[in-house]
Amino acid sequence: MSNPYIPYLTKVKSIVTENKVNDIKTIELEFKKEEEYKKFEYIPGQFAEISLIGKGECPIGIASSPTEEGTIKFTIKKMGTVTTGFHSSEIGDIIGVRGPCGNGWPVEDMKGKNIVVIGGGFAFSTLRSLVIYLLDEKHRKDYGDITVIYGNRDPGEVLYTDVLEEWKKRDDIKVVLTIDREAEGWTEEVGFVAPIVKKVAPSSDNAIAVVCGPPIMIKTTIAVMEELNWGPEQILNSLEARMKCGIGKCGRCNIGNKFICTDGPVFSLAELKELPDEY
Amino acid sequence: MENKILKKDQIGKLYNELVGEYKFYAPKNHKGNISFEQIEKPEDILLDYLNSKIPPKSVLFPKMEVLFEYTLDDKDVEITDRQDLDEKTLIFGIRPCDAYSFELFANFFSSHGNVKDEIYLKKKENTTLIGIGCNTPRTTCFCTSVNGNPFKKDDMDLFLTDLGDSYLVEGISDKGKSLIERLSWLSNAKEADLKKSEELAKKAEEAIVTKIDAKGAVKILETSFEHPIWDEISEACVGCGTCAYLCPTCTCFDVIDETDQYNKRGRRIRIWDTCQSCLYTKETSGHNPRNTKIQRCRNRIMHKFSYYPKNYDLLGCVGCGRCVYLCPVNNDLRVILNKINKIEKKEEKKAVV
Repeated sequence: MSNPYIPYLTKVKSIVTENKVNDIKTIELEFKKEEEYKKFEYIPGQFAEISLIGKGECPIGIASSPTEEGTIKFTIKKMGTVTTGFHSSEIGDIIGVRGPCGNGWPVEDMKGKNIVVIGGGFAFSTLRSLVIYLLDEKHRKDYGDITVIYGNRDPGEVLYTDVLEEWKKRDDIKVVLTIDREAEGWTEEVGFVAPIVKKVAPSSDNAIAVVCGPPIMIKTTIAVMEELNWGPEQILNSLEARMKCGIGKCGRCNIGNKFICTDGPVFSLAELKELPDEY
Repeated sequence: MENKILKKDQIGKLYNELVGEYKFYAPKNHKGNISFEQIEKPEDILLDYLNSKIPPKSVLFPKMEVLFEYTLDDKDVEITDRQDLDEKTLIFGIRPCDAYSFELFANFFSSHGNVKDEIYLKKKENTTLIGIGCNTPRTTCFCTSVNGNPFKKDDMDLFLTDLGDSYLVEGISDKGKSLIERLSWLSNAKEADLKKSEELAKKAEEAIVTKIDAKGAVKILETSFEHPIWDEISEACVGCGTCAYLCPTCTCFDVIDETDQYNKRGRRIRIWDTCQSCLYTKETSGHNPRNTKIQRCRNRIMHKFSYYPKNYDLLGCVGCGRCVYLCPVNNDLRVILNKINKIEKKEEKKAVV
């Protein structure tokens, strides 16, 4: 028998502060046992229940891509008891990881398609995972054009600046960065995500879009995409909810008869339209 | 296999014979409430009761349960798994509705998602149920409306019928049959005992007068999520959660770390939780997908009569009636279901007129 509530034990390998106000950090974890890392096979868009043993556990999207072998990464915003605990952790600290949980981005079904990745703010973590996966030399040939549109309040909030720089240097991906209002030194787009999407006008032909961000951004962006002839089955979202178990048992993350933790977190807009508006 | 007779004054003998091998649970008067408790002396076993206030789900899914224990070193953590899941448990005196609820529990804990709740399932595998038919169902019982019956035997290992001074003992599962073989001192049942048991079963079924069209409600609920009826249904509710805590099919739980900072050790536990609590779905950001009482009441009913049937083709209710007679504001599930069943009829009328 294996107790599904026992986490794998990992050690903090590195900690990166991602934003100027210092409430978002990316923590890189190294599994204590190599064989457990091998068992932790994941795809972009999945999440894990990570815990500070003694304080508690919470569900966090996996920010690293399975193609970045050796470690896993989580980008964590300081919010409650457990996430504040993560922010105080130091290199070498023990962190529990259970998972991977959830369905993840449908990277198999996305093969042969043009991919549009639209993110707002801190919700970019599993999008980072997805784009790194798509750009990996083993996978890049399986996908068509890749467009990334990533918006933030101000330049200090832009996550993953190192990988964004790498992507901008490549000619097989289009990266559009935007911030809400003009700021000194900012040379890219200015404006909310929705109008920028309208301006970039990604084609819906043979394409899949993944949209992650705050609810208002998703709402306005989807309205623009519908104008641009995107169908509801072409638009994917990743949902969040309060969760305890991450494995479809504790009950609280249901929307109608679906659980976000096991049936999601990724749902197409077409699927969401079939579910009650309770998320 | 022949049916047997267990005299009521032989309960002590049965207990003494099995208690070494099993953790022996039976209904007991516990601080004024009847609940299934681990029995230390056979005199404590309550034989004359309608049903327990606290459902026997608490035996395999206790109010508080340790998931694992841990010790915290300065820079390390050691985790200790549960060691007690191979112990054998026997539940004596369980009612058919509650025995059926164990099947629903096991179904849910093994089917949603690809990870099974091995803690529950292992315990269930090691559990033997000696159940009793309900000669006198409560007025609030409605098991016959939700695929149950006061003499439903198939979820038990051994099935007893109270014949007055003795019990008729029927072996149902292989586990139960081999238990009968072991209890070689049980006397053989006579033809008259079987006849009496059949009569009692018939009488009990007739005694349940509540008839609810649960299947009809399932169908109507498919299209009633936005219906104003939820306003009415939730109006009296005080959100205490009794209906869910004491429901034999409610499986929801919270997970908490309990740490003894001085001794640097602790345990991660799960405790019963309820979708009737406003904190249940409240996220750290402050956002709450089910912020109102209407949404929370609706979720409980929809879960049992719409979501559960949609996912597993089974009703999420066993008709025990606990939520009916224990609700402090008398928000009666039977009335709620009847109201739901009238939704369509009203509309049909409209359509005709």
